[in-house]
Amino acid sequence: MQRVKNVDYDEDDLYDDDEEYGEESDDRDSEQNRSSFAELTPVVRAELEEAGVQASDKAIEDALWNSFWDVGKSVVFLKDRNAPRQTPKKQEKAKSKFDQAAERSAKETGGSSKLAKLAEERRKKAAATAAGGSSTDSELSSLDRLTKPKDSKENDAPSSVAEPRKYPIRKKREPTPPPKEPTPPPPTEPEEEKPDLRASPTAFARTLSTHPVQGRKVTAPALADLLGTEQSEDPFKGPSPDDTVLKAQQRSKGRSLSKQTEALKLDSQSTQATIRSKGLDVPKLWAEEKAKRKPAAAFVVIGHVDHGKSTLMGRLLLDAGAVSQRDVNKYQKQAAEMNKSSFALAWVMDTGDEERERGVTFDFAQHHFSTPKADFTILDAPGHRDFVPNMIGGASMADMAVLVVDANQLESGMKGQTKEHILLAKAVGLKKVVVAVNKLDAANPAWSQDLFEQVQADVRKLLLDSAFAEQDIKFVPCSGLGGANVVNAPKASSPAAWVSKAHFTLLQALERSIPPRIADQEVIRQPLRMQIVDVFRGGVTNPVSIAGRISSGSVQIGDIVTVRPSGEKATIRAIDVLDEAKDYAVAGQICSLHLSDIEAQHLRSGDLVCSLQHPVHGRRSVVLLIDVLEPLLPQPVDVHVGRLHVPATISQLVETVDGKGEQLKRRPRLLKAGQRARIKVSFEGSVPLVVGERVIVRTAGVTAAHGTVE
Amino acid sequence: MSRLDLDSKHEFDQNVQETRIPPAKMKLVKQEILHKTGEGFAIMKPEEPEDMWHAYNLIRPNDLLRASAVRKVITESAGSGSRSNERVHTTLTIRVTKLDFDPQAGQLHVSGRVAEENPIVKLGGYHTLDLELQRNFTLEKSEGWDSVAIATLKEACDNDAKAQLWAVIMKEGLANICLVTDHQTILRQKIEYSLPRKRAGSTDHEKSMQKFFHTTYDSLLRHIDLANPKPLLLASPAFTAGQFQQYIKAQAAISTDKRVKDLLPKITVAQSASGHLHSLNEVLSSPAVTNKLSDTKFARETQLVDKFFELMRHEDNRAWYGPRESEKAVEQGAVGKGGGVLLISNGLFRSQDVGVRDRWVRCVDSVREQGGEVRVLSSMHESGRRLESLGGVAVILTYPMEDLDELGEGEVEEEQPESEDEHEHGANGHSHGVEGRRDHEEDIDFL
Repeated sequence: MQRVKNVDYDEDDLYDDDEEYGEESDDRDSEQNRSSFAELTPVVRAELEEAGVQASDKAIEDALWNSFWDVGKSVVFLKDRNAPRQTPKKQEKAKSKFDQAAERSAKETGGSSKLAKLAEERRKKAAATAAGGSSTDSELSSLDRLTKPKDSKENDAPSSVAEPRKYPIRKKREPTPPPKEPTPPPPTEPEEEKPDLRASPTAFARTLSTHPVQGRKVTAPALADLLGTEQSEDPFKGPSPDDTVLKAQQRSKGRSLSKQTEALKLDSQSTQATIRSKGLDVPKLWAEEKAKRKPAAAFVVIGHVDHGKSTLMGRLLLDAGAVSQRDVNKYQKQAAEMNKSSFALAWVMDTGDEERERGVTFDFAQHHFSTPKADFTILDAPGHRDFVPNMIGGASMADMAVLVVDANQLESGMKGQTKEHILLAKAVGLKKVVVAVNKLDAANPAWSQDLFEQVQADVRKLLLDSAFAEQDIKFVPCSGLGGANVVNAPKASSPAAWVSKAHFTLLQALERSIPPRIADQEVIRQPLRMQIVDVFRGGVTNPVSIAGRISSGSVQIGDIVTVRPSGEKATIRAIDVLDEAKDYAVAGQICSLHLSDIEAQHLRSGDLVCSLQHPVHGRRSVVLLIDVLEPLLPQPVDVHVGRLHVPATISQLVETVDGKGEQLKRRPRLLKAGQRARIKVSFEGSVPLVVGERVIVRTAGVTAAHGTVE
Repeated sequence: MSRLDLDSKHEFDQNVQETRIPPAKMKLVKQEILHKTGEGFAIMKPEEPEDMWHAYNLIRPNDLLRASAVRKVITESAGSGSRSNERVHTTLTIRVTKLDFDPQAGQLHVSGRVAEENPIVKLGGYHTLDLELQRNFTLEKSEGWDSVAIATLKEACDNDAKAQLWAVIMKEGLANICLVTDHQTILRQKIEYSLPRKRAGSTDHEKSMQKFFHTTYDSLLRHIDLANPKPLLLASPAFTAGQFQQYIKAQAAISTDKRVKDLLPKITVAQSASGHLHSLNEVLSSPAVTNKLSDTKFARETQLVDKFFELMRHEDNRAWYGPRESEKAVEQGAVGKGGGVLLISNGLFRSQDVGVRDRWVRCVDSVREQGGEVRVLSSMHESGRRLESLGGVAVILTYPMEDLDELGEGEVEEEQPESEDEHEHGANGHSHGVEGRRDHEEDIDFL
């Protein structure tokens, strides 16, 4: 009897279960069903008593429910269950979660799971007493499922919060997990019902079952459903369409499901596989969290080749604690083997083999670090003239610039990339610039203040000529290799002592130069625009990822975006900002977006990610308003828009204009340096360009003009 | 009847040209062209795909073209009413209405109406002749052979100078494989590869780079004839071309095909400003490359275009461009002896409008009379393409002239429709240089 009692206890447990999730009772509580129960329960009970079996009302009701009001089958089932079940039950209890998962999948495919074997056993025993015909199999298996939740219930015990966390993890190993059915929905035809058990709920069902409180955001879930990766479903409730309808009716009567909803929300937060938009009001959230945030900025490091940009940044990261001394020691050792020990710090930024071998940065490197006062993203641009396109890509993602000048080699840069980079920094719209006068320790005499003053004067003039404002320029004397005045001020005893009296360290200067994010809210509320800077494999779970800086609008997990010019759509699966997973990202942030529903071949660096509702349309030809730096004719040119680099042809010199944009001369035959003009440019293919976009025109490896799209 | 001496030294091509492998050039089988009037015909035999390009430049609408044709003939037997199809080989003479040139395949399709009695096709019936290699065709000019046509014919049948080279213009993630001949730059394949950026702790970039090289190398081998390797030019900004050369060397070392090794000494590595095709221009005109690849007609043309651009940049009033300005300069005799050069794209001579062609033939003739140099640039070369963007014609004058562009507003307006016309022409893909480049791009993506 002890055992029977045990069973009864289980039954109660099951009952509780139903109460808690309020589903079974939902449909059963309908009037018609209740009357059927009232009618049939006594009949079954009488039969059971005849056979000497005890059962609670609830158990009988369950059995009836699941056998579709078939008294005979219910009786068989109840008898059956009360008699031989204890041994297998213990086994079940001992089962690990993996076994359960395996069972479930085996069941799904109709394989010979342990439970199925049990069912077989029972069926044989039941065959003697059964009045039911050959069709019992299916009903029995269906009924078997009724007993299943007990196992999991017992294992997972009362912590209902813990459950959702565990299940998705298990489910990830099964590509198509069926919602585990503790209590099958009302079967109209048992055989037909089976597939129903496994069918995932419809979009409608989901909407109803998961967003009963704020019933909005219908579109995103619909897509998420199509993906089939929806994991937030609690295994204990897999509502069939019928269930849902009934539940909806129930809900309309005022019964709240908020408890489940809460659990589900928790669930969806804990699993990345869920691609459901939370429907966040991002601009509002962004504003709310403003107080909590540290100021953040991305700065591009520019300057002539070999002036020590990468080394200075390596030093900055090392001294700021973003890179461990151990790593640097390792680089030092490796670099020494290649007789390039002075490049060790640069290797923090230059990760490519070829870059290290040649000691030249090829592509801009990206690195984050934080100080107590601010979050920074370094964009370490290459200084070599052949890599200017990559520098433009880096600069277009930055909020400000750090210009590195070799105090001893000023001349080379003034003619070369120091000058060109300054122009380009201005052309992509950067305003603030910190000038790091580097390699002062190698000067003769070391830390010569005169030399610094002289360099400062020269560079300042160049910057002012390039239309940078006086107050936006800061000068920092420093040494990247030695590390003086980068993060730590030089010692008072050193020849560089004069530095700390009048100048900030590089880091302090950076912290003081962070430009305010102007008109934050306004930009964030605009449609999403983000240029893809990199297409990469973000890991096993994120096969397709892109990186870039959001230029306007915002994006959140679950959003559907479109990529131009390919026109393909993608869903945002996850977002990383500053190497941390986030729910959303806004304009001005550099982020990685992990995508699903798109192939990598539709993504190229330079493509534009746009909001679905307001895509940017590609254009084959545009009119540009440019400031001319080199003489231009109608001729083939390279057009750079951030990371985008396309060949184009100047098809017409429309007019030269004055400062206000008034026409000076129509159809000039030549554009001279220093002029301002409108030109018509045609592309080979269509290029997604927004009005006002900053454009750089280069020809034969020289920056010839910069301007904006009209 | 005095005939033109077509075997005389090419009078327009003054630069010294090196004779290479005996070239298979268009053969002039027979010609009867009257010196005075230009009336007459020429029988030619194209022997290689590039000859189709010459044919394309020679044949104009309204010309009479006689070539072998295959025609499907449907015969209906009177009694039973049954029909039978038959492909009949015949020779047709058509009056040309339209030309269609496919540079990738090197095929020329000429449509027109049958102009000579034929047992199979009725007079006036439409037919499209596909000119074939090794088959003679006869061309008779309706308006007579003008000087430009004769020059083209000479050039086509010129047995000298036959330079060809393969070029790969590349940058990280992009490679343009093209064949550069005397008259054409044919983009054979464009390989685009999406490379992930470098990031700490990941070797994806290096791996993709290797894959990109591999794809480029494979495609290159598919295109080039290893048995008879031509010079191979690798050009890129920075180090990509050098890396690719290393890759080819490594592949040659492990390859079982000995011929790949023979390719190695033919490789030249050069710097270009970008990986896009239009950078080919500056590469081919750079001294490092011209020395190695010896002379080509193309190099001389590129030099002239460069000189022109240089003069323009220095605002030297000896350089002018645009149809109106150039014509005016020629009229005033400024393009004459002592450095006068007329650069003109052969696209202008292919104009559907007979008037346009006549106008430029007159212009060319008048420059020659004045003793100036005339360069007909192929619109399928990058130098020609640069010229196309200037309106197809440019001049270097012997003395500076000012205000050639200062004309009455009315005249400017008059020019408007023509430039629109030019634009339309461009839309056909002909005036923009490498024809067919859009249709034949092959993009290979990594995943």
